[in-house]
Amino acid sequence: MEANQSVTFYDFLDRMRNPASLDLVRSIKSFIVSFSFYPANPENDGKKVQEFFLTMETAIRDHPLWAGATDEEIDSAMEGLEKYVMTKLFSRTFASLPEDVKFDREISEKICLLQAFLRPEHLDIPVALQNETSWLLAEKELQKINAFKAPREKLLCIINCCKVINNLLLNASMSGNHVPGGADDFLPVIIYVTIKANPPQLHSNLKFIQLYRRQAKLISEAAYYLTNVVSAKSFIVDLNAKSLSIEEIEFEESMQAARLANKATLVENPPTTFNTEVFRTDPGPSKFLDEKETKLKGGSKYPYMDAEAGELTVGDVEKLLSLYKDVVTRYTTLCSKVRHLSISKTDCPATSEGTSSLATELEETCLDANGKKE
Amino acid sequence: MGCGSSRLDRTSGRLNGLNNSENASAHDAKNLRVKLVLLGDSGVGKSCIVLRFVRGQFDPTSKVTVGASFLSQTIALQDSTTVKFEIWDTAGQERYAALAPLYYRGAGVAVIVYDITSPESFTKAQYWVKELQKHGSPDIVMALVGNKADLHEKREVPAQDGIDYAEKNGMFFIETSAKTADNINELFEEIAKRLPRPSQVQPSQPAS
Repeated sequence: MEANQSVTFYDFLDRMRNPASLDLVRSIKSFIVSFSFYPANPENDGKKVQEFFLTMETAIRDHPLWAGATDEEIDSAMEGLEKYVMTKLFSRTFASLPEDVKFDREISEKICLLQAFLRPEHLDIPVALQNETSWLLAEKELQKINAFKAPREKLLCIINCCKVINNLLLNASMSGNHVPGGADDFLPVIIYVTIKANPPQLHSNLKFIQLYRRQAKLISEAAYYLTNVVSAKSFIVDLNAKSLSIEEIEFEESMQAARLANKATLVENPPTTFNTEVFRTDPGPSKFLDEKETKLKGGSKYPYMDAEAGELTVGDVEKLLSLYKDVVTRYTTLCSKVRHLSISKTDCPATSEGTSSLATELEETCLDANGKKE
Repeated sequence: MGCGSSRLDRTSGRLNGLNNSENASAHDAKNLRVKLVLLGDSGVGKSCIVLRFVRGQFDPTSKVTVGASFLSQTIALQDSTTVKFEIWDTAGQERYAALAPLYYRGAGVAVIVYDITSPESFTKAQYWVKELQKHGSPDIVMALVGNKADLHEKREVPAQDGIDYAEKNGMFFIETSAKTADNINELFEEIAKRLPRPSQVQPSQPAS
């Protein structure tokens, strides 16, 4: 929304450095410290934070440093405060319960299966709205969500994604070959895009925004877009054959095939909690890994994916070598399997198409991992 | 009417932080903001009604296209109050029915639309009325709208059925045509009048 948001954030920090704001700084610090006394309790924590924002808004309004400030200036101070507080409390408030972490993983895994076979027709998305370029743009916006810690910025990723889709609907209706369908068009597209994007820690991100974005800002268009992504998540969680335009048998078979294909990449090492740990403590710089993970099922197995050469130590060599061997072995096996598959394609036309495209995807995945590994 | 809408948008968009998002309608007695949710089968013309309402302020022949599923529009009433409608469209396809509560939560107004040429859509509208009576906020203002009133010769739901059903359920009823714009403004004006006011309007009459 506001391009100069980082400027206003530094402005906020500047004002906080002013000796006159010592009382405000004290309240903020003691509020943040108060969080370390109790175990995480999202609902309560959310309430506490929201109340704190309201108290601080009054304090800032009445503060000499903001004497005569306009509502906009107060608002940007509040944005600065939200960003500061939530960045400090991030590890304590984001995906803080084991059940949230688990839910995130389950959703991500289900999406991964769906990605293997879901097509726009399964959601009856009209051809006029099938635009890979727009969808990809929208997906990218959603995938950025873990690059930010502040609720406002996370919400912005969602808003941007929805705006891309809105533009797509707008263009489709202006081109005259599509009667605007409002939400009838919008929701299926946002669901499809969410599945394609498989945004990292979807559940925790949505929950975090709902609890910690200033309530005064969770209204109107922003609230509508957030609700749509919350809907998309809820639809995906409950999704079964009946939710889609697909035969039940085809759905079950496709899910099963996707499960097998995923298992193939996950056999030896069971998935570790490595990813979650990384995201939880520091989601900012791990953006690269997040994007990787959406494409790369089992990315958790390759912990060096976002490592820089400078960070590696001699001790890592052994692990790296074994990972390298592992990847090469898999890739070679896979390639020979793929060749078999394409031969058997002619024998079994009913299912081979789905499987072989899956295999190709797997092959690409491995190539990708291989390439990055050197 | 509506000339000052952009200015109004800004004042009502800037919140004093005291209302939470659960509030169905907000702010000072003169400038209301209300969340309106649209429910009804897909294809009954929910979004066309909104487009007509929002676009009506512009040149109706222009190709200004608002394809969005969220729109807001401010109207001025005769008592010099303004109402800003924040209109939340919902997907009407059956497979998304279970998601509706996420949308109507906190709504001050629900507009339930059916198509007068489709008895199934009227049945569906009744389903939504019941659902809102059970799970909507208790003081939600509900309107039942029979759309596509221009298609008389294909009518399958008699106007009287709509009137009777609405009366029985204490709702406002109107038949509209998004195509001819018939009754579109009336629908929103009537809703605006029925909104509960946060407090009494001050007696002083500012010059408009």
